[in-house]
Amino acid sequence: MKKRVDWRLLSPFLYSFGLLIALGLIGVPLIQKYWVGPRLAQGIQPDFRACGWAIVGIALLSPVVGTFISVHLLRGHLTHLRLLTEASRKLGEGDFENVKIENSVNTLPEVETLGVTLAKTAEQLESHFDVLSKERAMLSAVLSQMTDGVVIADNEGHVQLLNHTAERLFKISNSKAQGKSIVEVLRHHALIELWEVSQTTKPQTITIEIGTDHRFLQVVGIALGEALPGRTMLLLQDLTQTHRLETVRRDFISNISHELRTPLAGLKAISETLLDGALDEPEVAKKFVIRMDSEVENLTQMVNELLELSRIEAGRSNFEFRLIAPCQLVRDPVERIMLQAERVGLTLELNCAEDLPMVMADPNRIAQVFINLLHNAIKFTPTGGHISVNVRATDRDVIFKVQDNGVGIMPKDLSRIFERFYKADRARSGGGTGLGLSICKHMVEAHGGRIWAESEEGMGSSFFFTIPIKNR
Amino acid sequence: MPRYGLDRELRLIQDETLILGSMVEQAMLNSIDALRRRDAIAAQEVIADDHRINDKRYAIENRILILFATHAPLAHDMRVLAATLEVTTEIERIGDYAKGIAKVAVKLADDETPIPMREIQTMADIAVSMLHRALGAFVSEDLVSAHALPAEDDKVDELYNLIYKRIIQTMVNNPSGIEHSNQVLWVIHNLERTADRVTNICERIVYMVTGELMELESSEEDATE
Repeated sequence: MKKRVDWRLLSPFLYSFGLLIALGLIGVPLIQKYWVGPRLAQGIQPDFRACGWAIVGIALLSPVVGTFISVHLLRGHLTHLRLLTEASRKLGEGDFENVKIENSVNTLPEVETLGVTLAKTAEQLESHFDVLSKERAMLSAVLSQMTDGVVIADNEGHVQLLNHTAERLFKISNSKAQGKSIVEVLRHHALIELWEVSQTTKPQTITIEIGTDHRFLQVVGIALGEALPGRTMLLLQDLTQTHRLETVRRDFISNISHELRTPLAGLKAISETLLDGALDEPEVAKKFVIRMDSEVENLTQMVNELLELSRIEAGRSNFEFRLIAPCQLVRDPVERIMLQAERVGLTLELNCAEDLPMVMADPNRIAQVFINLLHNAIKFTPTGGHISVNVRATDRDVIFKVQDNGVGIMPKDLSRIFERFYKADRARSGGGTGLGLSICKHMVEAHGGRIWAESEEGMGSSFFFTIPIKNR
Repeated sequence: MPRYGLDRELRLIQDETLILGSMVEQAMLNSIDALRRRDAIAAQEVIADDHRINDKRYAIENRILILFATHAPLAHDMRVLAATLEVTTEIERIGDYAKGIAKVAVKLADDETPIPMREIQTMADIAVSMLHRALGAFVSEDLVSAHALPAEDDKVDELYNLIYKRIIQTMVNNPSGIEHSNQVLWVIHNLERTADRVTNICERIVYMVTGELMELESSEEDATE
């Protein structure tokens, strides 16, 4: 740029010089006319020394006055400049709201251009900033709402970013983690190894269980490459829930295979014996076939119960609810079981008051529950024992109770007997499928009630279930 | 070498110590898992991996000794390095306890006799979590945690005594199962010792920060002594 001498810099001198000349041009004739002239006319010799002093005084004063005028004018420009400075400072801080650029008319052209440029810059900056902050908001919303954890670190191993999920997984806030070493934040050697490896190779995946809260994670390490050189991202997917369900499913399958194997092995043994020659002795053969029949009966019952259970669990089982008196629900199943109980030398007693409030229930399903509970009571009560069924009402529910004085249930089993395939005493429950109580539980819950058991070892057990009163 | 080099080396050594710690935490959790699932193969893996823990510890020790030789560190730096030597030793010993539990898991893999797994799991979870937090306090020089952690040992001791009494009862009732019960005793003993080692680590943290070596007692007497 060409360097030019700005003559305006000389303005104080020009002002003073101009003032001096003006005073000379105006003052000298005035002195001549009003001071020298009259005195000469009266014949008095004028005192030119005083005149000289006045001129010297004026000469000395004029630069002061000139400077004063010039500074006064300059102050106007300076104020404007200061406003512009303030405005640009606010721009720098990103405070677009408060940027005000006024163009005063009375200003230097350079300052005016600066003002206009600044105003334009402010506008552009604001629109850029808007776009950026919207993008940023979107990205951070995506990051924080992600159910997967994200950890980003640089090639020195310093953590750059943790999203919400990662904060929860590693129990450290993003602000605390930033700049810390990735080892200190992740605290797991397998994750560190993954981070080291994935810096230089293709994305890698590992599955690990971490910490004492036993979180099951699938982790992918990805180098961010050209977009963010040197940065590596770990993407953590929490599979704890899935893993747990998987375990339950596996246990279930292993249980069911085990349960199916036992009667099948029995059948196989019998059929082999028959083929090996027992068929030729009709008496023996008949006995074997009867046993086969009962094994098949067992298998069929188990398969039916499994189907029933899966139907109930899937919520596809049809219940036919109707308004019914509680005693009506109990009487039929108790009568059906009565004979069976007497045959093995047990007494069965039913206590039910006729004035109990009505309930909404499916009589067939409740009968099934009773038969299940009564069968269990018979199975676990020695000859000479006593079984009683009692029905009473609270203000909200009708409570049904099946009580026996049999062998009872050990405390450790008590909480688990309603699980599928759980058998407290394998030797005794023999033919059972381990599904009965599980089905009872589902049926009672479908009625909006609860089922539970109380027991003392050797003293007998009581099973309770409730059905809510259909009120008013 | 400039100061920057020493700082960097110190940080790397701390990172390595944390990695060693995490290897041991994992070994402990895996050995308990193997015990619960009666999984001899998983237990064998823990035993086989123990040498990696030992190697890592030697590597850290080496690094520290080289730093002593080349930097002649003073005051706080020196205490950090001395404490780290001690802490890595403690961690490595906890690794040995994990290996001990894995050995029991191998022996009991074919035995169907029930083990009080829920209590043992809780003991292990507390002990491992104590170790995890103690090492966190170690690198962040967190005196508050270092003083607070040894008190959690009480919970481990409580569980130890509970299981111990129950097992002794089982031994009295069923002398033929003494071998099995004895193995379970060994497991809980190792877990109890693990928590004690964490207390030692906390003592080293206090020493590292303040220069004072003091015994941090949990409120109860040690369960085994």
